[in-house]
Amino acid sequence: MKKIIALLLLVVMCFTMVACVGGNTPTPNPPAGNGGNGGEQGGNGNNGGGETPAPEKVRYDVPEIGYDGSEVEITFSHTMGENLRAELDMAIARFNELFPNITVTHTQIGGYNEVRDQIKNELAGGNQPNIAYCYPDHVALYNLSKKVVPLDNFIESKIVVNREDGTTEILGLTDEQVADFIPGYYKEGTVFDAAGTMYTMPMSKSTEVLYYNKTFFDQHDIKAPTTWAEMEAVCAQIQEILKNDNNPDNDTNKILGYDSESNWFITMCEQYGSNYTSTDKDNHFLFNNKTNRDFVKMFRGWYEKGYVTTQELYGAYTSGLFTELDPTKPNIYMCIGSTGGAQHQAPLAKDGQQTFEVGIAPLPQVDPENPKAISQGPSLCIFDQDNKQEVVASWLFVKFITTDAEFQASFSKVSGYMPVIKSVMDISVYSDWINSANGNSKDGVIALATKIALENTEYYFVSPAFNGSSKARDQVGELIKYCFQTPLAGSGFETVDELILDAFKKAINECLADI
Amino acid sequence: MAEKKQNIFVWFVEIFCKQWIWKGFFVNLVYKKFDKWKAWIYLAPTLVLLAIFTIWPIFNTVKMAFTVYWDPEAPIYEYDENGEIVYDDDTGKLAIDGYGMYKGYSIILDIAGETDFEFGFNNFKEILNYDGFFRIMQNTIILCVATVPISTFLALLIAVCLNAIKPLRRFLQTIFFMPYVTNSIAIGMVFAAMFNIVGVNEHNLDLSKSLGIINNILGVFGVDPVNWINQGSGYWANIAVMIIYIVWNALPFKILILLGGLQSVNKQYYEAAKIDSTPPWRVFTRITVPLLSPMITYVVITGFIGGFKEYTSIVGIFGETMQPPGAEIGTPRLQTMVGYIYDKLGDSEGIASAAAILLFILIFAVTLVNLRVSKKNTHY
Amino acid sequence: MSESKIVTMKEKDMKKVASAQKVMGVLGKVFLYLFLCVMALIVVFPFYWMIISSLKTVPEYEQAIPTLFPETIVWSNYSEAIKTANLYNLFKNTVIVGVVSTILSLVITVITAFVFARLEFKGRDALFALLLATMMIPGELFTITNYVTVTEWGWVGAGVTPFEGYAVLIVPFLVSVFYIYLLRQNFMQIPNELYLAAKVDGTKDLKYLWKVMIPLALPTLISITILKMMGAWNSYVWPRLVTTKEYHLITNGLRTAFQDANTGNANIPQQMAAVTLVSIPLFLVFIFLRKYIMKGVSRSGIKG
Repeated sequence: MKKIIALLLLVVMCFTMVACVGGNTPTPNPPAGNGGNGGEQGGNGNNGGGETPAPEKVRYDVPEIGYDGSEVEITFSHTMGENLRAELDMAIARFNELFPNITVTHTQIGGYNEVRDQIKNELAGGNQPNIAYCYPDHVALYNLSKKVVPLDNFIESKIVVNREDGTTEILGLTDEQVADFIPGYYKEGTVFDAAGTMYTMPMSKSTEVLYYNKTFFDQHDIKAPTTWAEMEAVCAQIQEILKNDNNPDNDTNKILGYDSESNWFITMCEQYGSNYTSTDKDNHFLFNNKTNRDFVKMFRGWYEKGYVTTQELYGAYTSGLFTELDPTKPNIYMCIGSTGGAQHQAPLAKDGQQTFEVGIAPLPQVDPENPKAISQGPSLCIFDQDNKQEVVASWLFVKFITTDAEFQASFSKVSGYMPVIKSVMDISVYSDWINSANGNSKDGVIALATKIALENTEYYFVSPAFNGSSKARDQVGELIKYCFQTPLAGSGFETVDELILDAFKKAINECLADI
Repeated sequence: MAEKKQNIFVWFVEIFCKQWIWKGFFVNLVYKKFDKWKAWIYLAPTLVLLAIFTIWPIFNTVKMAFTVYWDPEAPIYEYDENGEIVYDDDTGKLAIDGYGMYKGYSIILDIAGETDFEFGFNNFKEILNYDGFFRIMQNTIILCVATVPISTFLALLIAVCLNAIKPLRRFLQTIFFMPYVTNSIAIGMVFAAMFNIVGVNEHNLDLSKSLGIINNILGVFGVDPVNWINQGSGYWANIAVMIIYIVWNALPFKILILLGGLQSVNKQYYEAAKIDSTPPWRVFTRITVPLLSPMITYVVITGFIGGFKEYTSIVGIFGETMQPPGAEIGTPRLQTMVGYIYDKLGDSEGIASAAAILLFILIFAVTLVNLRVSKKNTHY
Repeated sequence: MSESKIVTMKEKDMKKVASAQKVMGVLGKVFLYLFLCVMALIVVFPFYWMIISSLKTVPEYEQAIPTLFPETIVWSNYSEAIKTANLYNLFKNTVIVGVVSTILSLVITVITAFVFARLEFKGRDALFALLLATMMIPGELFTITNYVTVTEWGWVGAGVTPFEGYAVLIVPFLVSVFYIYLLRQNFMQIPNELYLAAKVDGTKDLKYLWKVMIPLALPTLISITILKMMGAWNSYVWPRLVTTKEYHLITNGLRTAFQDANTGNANIPQQMAAVTLVSIPLFLVFIFLRKYIMKGVSRSGIKG
């Protein structure tokens, strides 16, 4: 045993020595990550300093011949379940009628985080896929490797590409195609730098809406709230109704469920016009300000009154509470959730009938004149490869699935996500489906959610994306959960304000520690 | 310049690594008789695999752990005399004190090829300065200090009892070994379901659909339901669940080792004790424990090592958030060193490597201490 | 006379003591069994709970006062679980990885252990000590670099061939120092004279290994086989890191499969059904090969 230990120590020492020999540069005293107190401008900053020129878009060298018709195989990593993969396969078949030499293989990696982790590691091994489902902060991370293809030169390209059927198309997007995109979605691709370089194409989107129990609301003559002030009044009113009802089953009921804590925080920042995060390299994390703490405190009050619960505080998606069929179990009367989850907001009983009619309204606002609702859902990014034809082929495929109305329409119907182009409405099957929207069937609820979302596209915003923005997102979600459910007694703080301030400071520190 | 340094560094490590493995091979191949070097041929596959998947990772981890880069544009924020960050309460903007900071190695930056990496200790400093490091250590120490003695003592008791009986011994032995062959994530899910309260609303346990079987059992003994792992549960309730699960998981291995030890103990000691009609407790403390001390040392050491590497059992019960919802801001309440390493892998491989090395040093130190302590008390 | 009295007294006393001891012994035994049975119940309870939960309906499972035996037995939880978690594919992958890695790993382990146990060469002890030293390093330390290595080989990611998909789960773990150590200890116990005699007879090393050492070390080999299989069955972190859904192993599919992607509501009875299915093969192996598993585990312990 002694021998082993001695040997081990020796090995450890050798490592250290090697490491020391390897980098015996005299290093300026590095400032500590967190308690950083004045680090001198020491190192060899190769591109720091100097005046900053006007921001310029990052450009990609598109091969001059465009797509040369050669055989290429491209890979596509995504999170699609079985139904959606079937839709994608049909789209690939139609794409191959135009470009038979481009083979598209696609794989469901897992959830969004798994896609991110895997691609990050694949980039490290130089083994990245051609196309990937992405959220903006993933792209910010991937782009540290400079392997994400900037799309502007593709979009603007006028190079003519020959299709199998004898027709041609230009490599870029036509003006009509650009105009067809819902502007808010299209702009999401440009949030990564000051110059507005386009890195992603929108694929399918969702937003948050208010689902409510229309039967109950009609019965008691309540209107769906359009502002948070009205929301508070409605909650109070419903609570009063429940109290007067003298039904012990109602004791377990809440009024409102908000599924995503993070979305709630971010949306409120946007609605109040207060700071959340910024792409400014100097100051990414701005969410610790008075406005934000005040709304958290206000909603904490709601939580304490029993008005509201959230997904993680409840332990499962609150749509489960909304659609609960058993009156002796906890119920809610309103639920704010993603349009992508509309299929789970229909309270289907065993006989296939709904127990109540579902109403859907836009998200409540702070200022109805300036409405805001979060826009979410995957976009597509393309990775650089040694074989440039692969990159061109990837672009052709991305262009195809984002601009093809037929695919966008069928994908939207199956997934419950919103299409990203307006021309889907020209497809009669789709417009009929939207017009069939009602609150009394599962399909009707999905259509209704999509319809409400499509009517309010001017609401949408996207939060800034940078490497670390997902940390901020996680932390503000934690803030809501923590600030709601931590009782003042025993917390060591005298006032709720102090408790909340302390939590906000900790969240900022955690964000900074991870960059 | 820095790139060159980097290359020399890599070159040195590689040469060192190769020399060290192959030198023996060549020397033996050329100079010794067949009988002497055939061993190396037999060993070749093992050594190659070891070199690739064990030795090289060790070098590379050490390399990454000591690799940092200078980011001249990284802002340094201002802290007040209380060590709290200075910010503007209206805009949320942080006050900036200057620019330029060392940051940890990151593979994804390395492939972009635009960053000059250098040698430095900053990754370790980063970890030691991390706010949550204390909590990680606290969790680790609490879990170790609680689970190792409890499981060792219980295992010893069960082993001695098993050793004292004849009928049913085989059967009971099999039962006690069962947890060893299970899947720790799967059974973690069973435990989570047993302690889980379904549909809990805030802090009021009356408002739940189901209290979970453990609370039902406790209710039979008149104990009020406890919120074990759900939203709003306390730290010690969480820790209690973890301790129960870890002890349950650790028992079979310990029982097996100790029972094996007991069976190989010379029966004469016990017969002597029987003649002297020594009371059982004294037999236990004066004969059994000293004779078993090597095995006890072994299970204690492996218990501590396991305790420092705790991760999957916590994932099994709390999921990858490592805490009940909303329990803490920042570091998850039940974060451990291994969880921290996997977390950090997403940000900087350099810091993750440094954390892995710190973990190794900790385990090594604890093992040494254990050996030192047990040496004094071990009877061979 | 007095002497005989004394004798009878002594005999009486002895009898008294003996009967007292007997009572104590019986009481002690009762107490022993009681203690052991209570502990055994505690140990077994999670398994019991897992199995009966897997047969309940969701409403029954969620009852405020749980039933100790399901009112209506719902076998369909099992078929649903197999479908939801895609258990068939997970089982297939786990079995392939388990079997192939066990066979290859056995070959490597046997040869290496033989070399370290029987062959004389310069630096043998130092090399073996070094091998043992690597055992002390936490596996987490290897994960990062190994990940980069296998990615550079193109064994990771979308569109890998089945060979690559499985190799990435097998190759990095072929050499297990722990098993080499285990088997070497076993080989060392076989008298060296046998080997020397065989050598005089001109028997080749490998033949000797096959004919003499392997049969003698068979119990250890079986233990290693089982432990290795169990390793495949239980691995979580590495497969999660390197595989796409197609090549996931059993644990990877379990944790998330029963969380409805959109509602997040876990169907616990179904989840428990899947967990039961995953545990059954382990139990079967354990029940039939209990002796070897226990021997393997305890042997590793005693010599440590």
